[in-house]
Amino acid sequence: MIIYVNDKEINFEGNIKELLKFFNYKPEGIAVLVNGEILKREYWETYKLKEKDYIEIVTLVGGG
Amino acid sequence: MSLMIGGKLIVNRLFVGTGKLPDYSVIKRMYEELKIEVFAVAVRRINLEKGTKYSILDFLPKEAKIMVNTSGARNHKEAVKIALIGREITNSDWVKIEISGELKYLFPDNEETLKASEILVKEGFKVFPYIFPDLVLAKKLEDIGVSAVMPLGSPIGSNKGIDCETLLKAIINEIDIPVIIDAGIGKPSHAAKAMELGADAVLINTAIATSFDPFLMAKAFSMAVSAGRLAYEIGLPKEQEYASPSSPLADLIRGETK
Repeated sequence: MIIYVNDKEINFEGNIKELLKFFNYKPEGIAVLVNGEILKREYWETYKLKEKDYIEIVTLVGGG
Repeated sequence: MSLMIGGKLIVNRLFVGTGKLPDYSVIKRMYEELKIEVFAVAVRRINLEKGTKYSILDFLPKEAKIMVNTSGARNHKEAVKIALIGREITNSDWVKIEISGELKYLFPDNEETLKASEILVKEGFKVFPYIFPDLVLAKKLEDIGVSAVMPLGSPIGSNKGIDCETLLKAIINEIDIPVIIDAGIGKPSHAAKAMELGADAVLINTAIATSFDPFLMAKAFSMAVSAGRLAYEIGLPKEQEYASPSSPLADLIRGETK
């Protein structure tokens, strides 16, 4: 299944938790948006990824 | 001397923005050695190549106050979304609303900022809107329950200092919530000036983060902020047109009788 992660097209089957593992990300200190909407942490395992889902993985950075 | 703001008692009235810092480990030193307690951060997508190896969260002391900046937001909806993401990640309910209305001067869009503030106050955030220095807007923001207003001194990163003193003074004099002068402060003398005007705090990023030694520059700014605040609290003297001698005018040595 094709999905987009931070604008990168990838072929992936699984849930958000597995997606983070795929990218080798720690689940702390990040948030996930699916098609522009925040997907709360408690749904990371139950949300069913769909074809062409647009995922954004975000974190904190230095800023003013 | 301390400042009660957003439900927290703050001793150091210098708030520091962490953008452009070459090394986040300096944040811990600023907290421990300079007692700087409030740090602004931003929310961005993870760079898929670089990953999350060095998260700024690992360098922010647990007791410090994190102010999530909505920079990058183009309207109130995006600002609200970034605020919610920030709270999800940090558990901090302090949000600086920054919505740029144009890109040359990065002046804030006051109308969108008001809309975002209304929504986020209702969502239970401690809201710190970055605004163009407009007293009428500041009053509206005070009425809806923001924690402070953050009018600009001059454009972000410009180092031009306090460019609109009359407008800032009007806000400081006419509203009861704290006023934090944010943006454009380039030198310690600018920060002292802001505090002498009666600002409750200043937020500084570029001038500290891009200096040769961010820690020592933060120290210099911190000293200026304390000095300016102390002088304001004591009460500054009035200006006058002509000289007024400091030494006595009587009993002068003349070498001859009158």
